[in-house]
Amino acid sequence: MHRLKQGEVNLGTSIMAVQFDGGVVIGADSRTTTGSYIANRVTDKLTYLHDRIYCCRSGSAADTQAIADFGHYYLQMQTQVMGSAPSVLTAAAIMEKMCYQNKDQLSAGIIVAGWDKKAGPSVYNIPLGGGLFRQPWAIGGSGSTYVYGYCDATYQEGWGKDETVNFVKNTLALAMSRDGSSGGCIRMCVITEDGVERKFIPGDELPRFWEGKEVLGEATRKPLAALSTVSDVAPMAVEV
Amino acid sequence: MDPSLRIVPASVPKTASVVETSNSLGLHDTLQYGPRTIATEMKTEGSLKDRLYNWEETQDNLKLTMMRNTYGLHAPMRLLMERRIASANPHMTLLPQTNLQLDILMGRDESVEAADVFAGPLSGPPLDIRQDMEKKHRI
Repeated sequence: MHRLKQGEVNLGTSIMAVQFDGGVVIGADSRTTTGSYIANRVTDKLTYLHDRIYCCRSGSAADTQAIADFGHYYLQMQTQVMGSAPSVLTAAAIMEKMCYQNKDQLSAGIIVAGWDKKAGPSVYNIPLGGGLFRQPWAIGGSGSTYVYGYCDATYQEGWGKDETVNFVKNTLALAMSRDGSSGGCIRMCVITEDGVERKFIPGDELPRFWEGKEVLGEATRKPLAALSTVSDVAPMAVEV
Repeated sequence: MDPSLRIVPASVPKTASVVETSNSLGLHDTLQYGPRTIATEMKTEGSLKDRLYNWEETQDNLKLTMMRNTYGLHAPMRLLMERRIASANPHMTLLPQTNLQLDILMGRDESVEAADVFAGPLSGPPLDIRQDMEKKHRI
């Protein structure tokens, strides 16, 4: 498993998927970088695998696109043979097999999430080595390291759709504000039995949290009230 | 067919061998190829060459493995059997050889590549027919 090769496009990212009662909410930021240049600031990292199965991609953009393409191809073949939509576990398993068998050449972290008839909503996390983990919520990408604490403290079971959407939005906004390789806007998909609803939150409408305050020099700065009383006094005559 | 989901060719470990220049006794054939040198024995020439060389084969293998997983072992087996039948050529090695059936099976019948335009024999008329036949039938 190599680090990104020189010049390779990096999906340094914050991605997330959370399951709730009737479906899953998946979300991602929208920045793709090549070193310090932002190659694409409105990327769509939520990739279609099947009608009710999507995957979030992080790591090398080329590697994850190749894997997602083959996953989509395989699921189409499965649908033809089985005659019905594949389960999320099938999709996650094929992505995991490809990630593991190619692990010496790939750098890809993928979250597969969706809804199927047998198991309902499910989220599967496939981190860098190619393991498969089912979790009620999963975060990934470089920005995820900054928000593990927030997610652990905030997540509650039994949430409905709106609370889950809010949770994803806040988590991604916090990750994007601290991680240099995540940013732009938030893209979300809500996947339920009835369909897939895409949500888009532009960069100026992101939820804002404590943004820092310059504390250095506070003690010597005059408070505003004092300044206004001083301005009533006429300037002092100075002898030259 | 190798039942693996490799997307790109794996980087081959560095090797050196006398297989290419060996005679029937397994040793380097000095009479035919000259004195033994390291240059003839080195097998690895850089990972890019191996990657490009094995590219089509790896993609084909991936598709066959997916077919095996979806339809069963019979599907890739039949395809490979058909290819082998089409490429079975009873003729002696003549220079211009086209195999339309094999091209159709491999999906190359509707594309024109550089190899088709700049075609031409790599070497002249066969100097040693016995050696050519040996290579062909892999004795």
